[in-house]
Amino acid sequence: MNTRTRALLFLPLGAALAAFLLWGLAGLPDFGSTQGPYARYLARHATAQRHVTNVPTSIVFDYRALDTLGEELILFTCVMGTALLLRSSREAEEQRPSDRPTSAAQRHLVSLLIPVTVLLGLWTISYGYLTPGGGFQGGVVCGAAALMLWAAGGYRDHRALTPTGLVDAAEGLGAAAYIGLGLAVLAAGHAFLANVLPLGSTGTLASGGTIAVLNWATGLEVSAATVLVFHEFLKEYVQTLPGAAED
Amino acid sequence: MAADLVPLTVAAPLVAAALLAALAQFLPRWVPDLTAIVVAAGVTALGVLLTLASRAHPIVYWFGGWRPAGGTALGIDFVVEPLSASLVALTGLLTTTSLVFSWRYFEEVGHLYHALVLALLAGMAGFALSGDLFNIFVWFELMSVSAYALCGYQIHQSAVVQGAINFTVVNSTGAFTLLLGIVLVYGRTGALNLAEIGEALGSRPPDGLVTVAFTLITTGLLVKAGAVPFHFWLSDAYAVAPAPVGALFTGIMSDLAYHTFARVYWDGFSGALGSASAAVRDGLLALGVASAVIGAVMCLLQADLKRQLAFLTVSHGGVFLAGIALLTPRGLAGATLFVITDGLLKAALFLTFATVVRSLGSGDELALHGRGRTPREALPALIFLCCALGFAALPPFGTFLSAALIHDSPGPGWPFPVLAACLAVTSAAFLRAGARIFLGWGPRHDPLLTSAPGKPGEPGEPGDGEPDHGGGGAARGRTALLIPALALVAAAYATAFVPGVAAEFITASHSFEQPRQTAHQVLTGHLPPSPPSASYTPTPGAWTTAAAATAAALALAAVSLRTPGSRPGRLRRVLVPPAKALKSLHDGEVGDYTLWFTTGLLALGLAWTLTLR
Repeated sequence: MNTRTRALLFLPLGAALAAFLLWGLAGLPDFGSTQGPYARYLARHATAQRHVTNVPTSIVFDYRALDTLGEELILFTCVMGTALLLRSSREAEEQRPSDRPTSAAQRHLVSLLIPVTVLLGLWTISYGYLTPGGGFQGGVVCGAAALMLWAAGGYRDHRALTPTGLVDAAEGLGAAAYIGLGLAVLAAGHAFLANVLPLGSTGTLASGGTIAVLNWATGLEVSAATVLVFHEFLKEYVQTLPGAAED
Repeated sequence: MAADLVPLTVAAPLVAAALLAALAQFLPRWVPDLTAIVVAAGVTALGVLLTLASRAHPIVYWFGGWRPAGGTALGIDFVVEPLSASLVALTGLLTTTSLVFSWRYFEEVGHLYHALVLALLAGMAGFALSGDLFNIFVWFELMSVSAYALCGYQIHQSAVVQGAINFTVVNSTGAFTLLLGIVLVYGRTGALNLAEIGEALGSRPPDGLVTVAFTLITTGLLVKAGAVPFHFWLSDAYAVAPAPVGALFTGIMSDLAYHTFARVYWDGFSGALGSASAAVRDGLLALGVASAVIGAVMCLLQADLKRQLAFLTVSHGGVFLAGIALLTPRGLAGATLFVITDGLLKAALFLTFATVVRSLGSGDELALHGRGRTPREALPALIFLCCALGFAALPPFGTFLSAALIHDSPGPGWPFPVLAACLAVTSAAFLRAGARIFLGWGPRHDPLLTSAPGKPGEPGEPGDGEPDHGGGGAARGRTALLIPALALVAAAYATAFVPGVAAEFITASHSFEQPRQTAHQVLTGHLPPSPPSASYTPTPGAWTTAAAATAAALALAAVSLRTPGSRPGRLRRVLVPPAKALKSLHDGEVGDYTLWFTTGLLALGLAWTLTLR
């Protein structure tokens, strides 16, 4: 089937699909009109039960911590799968990395922003259960700092600071720490991923029990995963740059 | 006691995967191999233990210890009952076999391979056990992403890239569809727990939202299962997966989605759709029979062994779906038992293909004509024969018992003869291929059959998706490679002789189809009454039909091996145009596949819009 025929056939089908979906969406309650039983329960009880002020984080790392475990492992598997495929497709041994010339202004500005970015990422992780943020969000910000190294023209620095072995290990250990905590709690005779650590006082960094630990494990895993993805794709990209083949 | 072990079904493989990814690069090759095998064997043992422990009543495990408060689920639960637990055992067993096989099969394998296989195992186990709709989606995604990467393992071959991309695009579309259905259900009920959704939807007649949500969720799961017309990706992907991975895909991964669909229907929707259960049954039966027929015909038209098995997976998937669609304990019991016995045979055959490709140099039955006529190939030939006869439900073995349960279920009688004919056709395809390869029967060329594109079957060329290997190592360790496959075949045949296995599956299915009782246990913790015990012996009708299917398979294989040149058959001339038309639909164009996906979704949606009341 050529593209044109396909497009012509898809037009009526797409329209019918849109109508079908709208029919379903029309059955939803009006925006803000009702609150489900789960939302009502958590809005009322979550802070008292878990001593954390960011209720979504308490859902992510406590009430529904198993979903987060699965999602973290999805990210882990995606990154590992990408690494597996890209590494095996790179047949030739890589050339020595070389820096890309950039302007002095770009180098200085970006170099200045790197520590700020790392700090912002760490802050987003640390306060994830008090204010909006958390391990996932902060981890991505931290990972972005590694990409900024490259943006500053320092591909060699980027490569030196993100050796494959170390990043692989950090990613795997971050994921293993999350599951390992669940297993440790299980071994101690509680339910898997039950929050058994002291809950601390609400509104301080020392609160939330295992929420804080899982938050940091996720932060480590997501940072490493982000760095690893940038690392692998940058390797692909620099091979396409003019001059890469001649070295 | 057994209840405390439930989380290990996912936690053990996942923690092993994470640790292997982190540390295996510093360890010798045997460490990840052995670790992965031990963990997968552990999951198998756990699956068997949980199957036995949940016979009296399901085990409900609340993660984080969050028990429901006032009928509202706060956390996530796994609901372990014998059907899903036995599928976890099967998943573990096939993964163990696959890992044992890959230890000898891959001459070099990166440490990430084991991590991905373990992630796939955990994804499948969670997908089979979870009692929470969103959590089911999470495991669906985990098993999908690990499968995409494993499917594309030999990424330097262009057919592999295309197959893996089609797999990824169509399955991701299915995942979005599933998620959209979950969003609609959550918007209506405010709940993600299946038991709570079932209670909240209640027995009110279904309106637009419920119809659309149920259609979307069904479609999303049937994409993963590879039911017609959502199956197009499956043959492209399974044909290029490396053998140990392909054995997992065809053996269990797609069929697991049928089981999860059955759970989502019974626990979440059967109350709301109960008054329209005939409409649900007919819609699913139509898809099941269509899958069985189209899969069987396409299977017969392939010369490439892996594609034959891929289409057999579609065809037999249709039989499972039809069994589930009957909405009876016997239908569900037969379908589940069929997933197990048929899965063992399919995985065994996929592994055997790999050794045939390696020693004879091609995976194409026409190219292999007569090349297997040596005593060295006796063992693969035996496995071929056993699997092919098993596919035709040869009495009195495992697949027969499963098919007999579906045959003897109450419900409309018309589908079963069609399904039995499809079993015979798929069986004939492998009898024909086996006779051609190992006995040298039949012609060398057959215009009806499709060979894999661009592969003349040169000796020494690896099949699509298989690793390159040195020519000299062909015979080394061959028998060791085939022992796992032989063990799987023996297990499939022996299943029928486990005392009371059919009755146990009927009893478990009976409880499975009592959603109010399950919901009561999940949400309040009250144990249900012990299920009534069942008994079962196949009826004479089942024996006759299965024997006829086996005979038909042998006859069809003989007919399809006749030399077309000897008598230019009118039948063949009549058959060629429709066969070409059907094949041209499976053209590898992912855009076309999406078009068929949309058509299928709308057809199902329209049918249910008109009939669900």
